[in-house]
Amino acid sequence: MKDTAVILSDEKQIDVFKAVKKQKLVRFLKGMLFLMPSIVLFSLFLFYPLGRTIYLSFFLTDGSGDPTVFVGWENYLNLFTSPIFLKSLRATFLFVLYTVPGTILVSLFLAILANEKLKGIGIFRTMYASTMGISVAAASVFWMFLFHPTIGWLNQILQALGFNSIGWLTDPQWALLAVSISTIWMNLGFTFLIMLGGLQSIDRYLYESADIDGASYFYQLRRITLPMLSPTLFFVITVTFINAFQTFGQIDMLTRGGPQNETQLIVYSIYQEAFMNYQFGPASAQAIFLFIVILLLTLIQFKLGERKVHYQ
Amino acid sequence: MKKVLLILLAALFIAVGCQEADASQDAEQQENPGSDTEENTVSDEPVEVIFWHAMGGALQEALDQIVASYNEAQDQVIVKAEYQGTYDEALTKFNSIAGTENAPTMMQVFEIGTKSMINSGGIEPIQTFIDQDGYDMGQLEENIINYYRVDDQFYSMPFNSSTPVMYYNKDAFEAAGLDPDNPPATFEEIEAAGRTIMAENPDMKGFALQAYGWLYEQLLANQGALLMNNDNGRTDTPTEIGFTEEEGKSIFEWVERMIADDTFANYGTNGDNMVAGFMAEDVAMFLASSANVRSVVDSAPFEVGVAFLPYPENKERNGVVIGGASLWMMNGKEEAEQLAAWDFMKYLQTPEVQAAWHVGTGYFAINPAAYEEQVVQDAYQEMPQLKVTVDQLQSTTSSVATEGALMDMIPEARRITESALETVYNGGDVDTAYQAVVDQMNAAIEQANRARGE
Repeated sequence: MKDTAVILSDEKQIDVFKAVKKQKLVRFLKGMLFLMPSIVLFSLFLFYPLGRTIYLSFFLTDGSGDPTVFVGWENYLNLFTSPIFLKSLRATFLFVLYTVPGTILVSLFLAILANEKLKGIGIFRTMYASTMGISVAAASVFWMFLFHPTIGWLNQILQALGFNSIGWLTDPQWALLAVSISTIWMNLGFTFLIMLGGLQSIDRYLYESADIDGASYFYQLRRITLPMLSPTLFFVITVTFINAFQTFGQIDMLTRGGPQNETQLIVYSIYQEAFMNYQFGPASAQAIFLFIVILLLTLIQFKLGERKVHYQ
Repeated sequence: MKKVLLILLAALFIAVGCQEADASQDAEQQENPGSDTEENTVSDEPVEVIFWHAMGGALQEALDQIVASYNEAQDQVIVKAEYQGTYDEALTKFNSIAGTENAPTMMQVFEIGTKSMINSGGIEPIQTFIDQDGYDMGQLEENIINYYRVDDQFYSMPFNSSTPVMYYNKDAFEAAGLDPDNPPATFEEIEAAGRTIMAENPDMKGFALQAYGWLYEQLLANQGALLMNNDNGRTDTPTEIGFTEEEGKSIFEWVERMIADDTFANYGTNGDNMVAGFMAEDVAMFLASSANVRSVVDSAPFEVGVAFLPYPENKERNGVVIGGASLWMMNGKEEAEQLAAWDFMKYLQTPEVQAAWHVGTGYFAINPAAYEEQVVQDAYQEMPQLKVTVDQLQSTTSSVATEGALMDMIPEARRITESALETVYNGGDVDTAYQAVVDQMNAAIEQANRARGE
C-alpha cells in the first residue's frame, strides 16, 4: 500500500502507459477492498482448515491433534483396505440413494398439491413447511420415540395390525432405512418451500393456453410444470445431495453409527476417528476423500444435469 | 481516486495504531502478574477452582450438592463445577485446550482415559501433592487405588468408581419356581434360568447383554483374562491383545447359545432401552453398572435383585475391574489454585462425603471408612442391593487381570467389540466376529503405538 503512495506522489509528468497501469492497480485494490470481508472469512474458516486438513492427512497425530509421524500416503491407502471404511462408503451411497430421490419426490408431490388454489390451503402449506423450523436434534429425539422397540408408536401400530415388531434402529436390515425415513421427513420442509416458490413463479398464461388447446392435467404437468420448475429442481437436488453426504446429527442421535457400523456415514466416521479415537491423521484423509467425492459428483451433476435445465 | 488512497492510508494507520496499542497492553499485562499474586496472598480473596466433570442427570445433582457443601464449609476456596458432556466429549474438549490458560484447574476423566491424560503433558501428577502433604493413600480402597497406581505413582485421585453387576427380577424368578435369593452365577446357570423363566412366561426373555465394550472387558477380567498383553499394559506399552481365543470367544458363544434358545433379548448398544425393557418385564436379567442400583431399585414396579457378574463354568471367579473416573490436576496453574484444588480433592475423600456419594448414587465409597457411617448403615437396611456391589469389589482377587488394562486406544477397542457383539446378536458367525475383533484391535494398537512417535 505504501508503494502506491510513492508512485502517486512521484508522478509528475504525464505518461499514458504509467497512468493506465496505475489505474489498473487502483481498480484491483478497490476490488480487493470490496472482496476483503469474504476473503478474510473464507480463508479463516475454509481455506486454512482445508490446508491444515490436507497437511494432517499425511501424518499420525497424538491425542491433542499435533502431528507426530509422517506417513505419506499411508492414511489414504489404509482407507481402501479398511473393511469399516468401505462399509461406511457403501452406507453413505445407499443413504444418498434413499434420501435424495425420496425427499425430492415427496416434496414435489406435496408442493404440487399445495399449489392448488383452494380454501384454507395456507394451513396445509404451513403444515408441510413446518419441519423446517425443527432442529435436527429435536426431530431425532421425536423419531427415537417413534422407533422405540417396545413402546414406540410404529411398532405398536404394526402389532395392532398383526405384524411382528421391527427393531428399527437395532436391526442392521432396517437401521439405515429408518434413519433415511427420518431424514426425508426432516428435509421436507425446506425442499417443499423452495419447490412451492418455484411453482408459484410459473406464468399462469402457459396453463391458460394449454387449457384452450385441450391439454390434460398430466400433459400440462409433464410439458409445462416440470420443465419450468427445472432450475428449482436442479438447485434442490444439488443441495439435498450435498446435505445427504454431510449428514451427521441424526446419526449421532439415533444410532451412533450402529448396528454393526451399518449406519456409519462418512461424516460420522470422520467424527469418530478424530474425536473419539483421536486419530486425526486418518480422519483428515477421510475428510479429504469425502471432499473429492462431493466435488466430482457435483461437477458431473452440473455437466449432465444442467443440459436438461430450462432457464426462462 | 485520491479519496480511495486516503481511505487506504487511513486504514493502514488504524491497523498500525491497533498493533501499537496491543503491544502496550501486552507490556502492561506482563508487569501485572507479579502484582496480582502479591495482592492474592495479602488479601483474603477466595481462590477460584474450575472443576470440569461429566456427571449428568441425577449424578450431577448429587455432585453439585457436595460442591455446594464444600463451598459453604470454608471461605478460602470457591469450587465451580462445570458439566462438560459425556466422558468422551469432556476429554475431547480437554485435549484441544490442554496446557493453555483455558484449561480447568481440575477435571474428572474416565478410567480408560488415564493413559492419554498421562501422555497429554497438560497434567500435574497428584503424587506431587501426596508427597508435599504426606497424604496417606493407604486409607483408600485397595482395589481402586490399584487401578490408578501407574509405575508406583499416582497421577490422579480416584473419585467415582463402579463395577458391573447383574440385575434380576425377583418376582419373575419366584413365578418360575427359581430361588430368588440364589441368583445364577455362571454363564451356564444363566442360560438354564432363562429357559425356565421363558417356559413359565413366554413373553419374558431371559437375559439381555447390552453391546457395550466395557461389559466385554469386565466379563474377560472376571475369568482372569487380560485385555492387553504386557500384563495389561502395566509393565510395558501393549503391543497386542492379551486374551486367548478360548477366553475371547466364550462371551460370543454364550450369547449365541442363548440366541439359539431364544432366551436372549437384543437391545443393541442402547442401555436406556434395555433398562426400559427390564422395567416393562420384557426381560428378566441384565448386566449394568452398579451406579444405576438406586434408580433401578427405586423405580422398578417389582422386586429387584442385584448379583455378582457371571463367569464361565469351567473358570474361577476373579472379580471385576473398577470402572468410573478419577480427578486430574492441571499443570501451568498458580500454586495457590492447585493447592485449593488439592484441598477439595481431599475433602471429596472424607468418609462423610463418600458416604453421601455412595448412598446417593451407587458408586463405591473410595474411602472404606465411609461404610461405617450411619447414613450408609441405614441405607443398607433399607436397600441391601447397594451392598452387593461393595461385596463384589472387596471379594475381587487382586491380579493384573482385575487391575485393568492401561492403553490409550481402549475407547476405540470398545467400539470394535461393540460392533462384533452386535454382529453376533443379529445372527452373525462367531468365528468371523471374533476374528474381526482380534484383527481390528491389533491394528488399532499398532496404529496408536506408531502415532506416539516413540
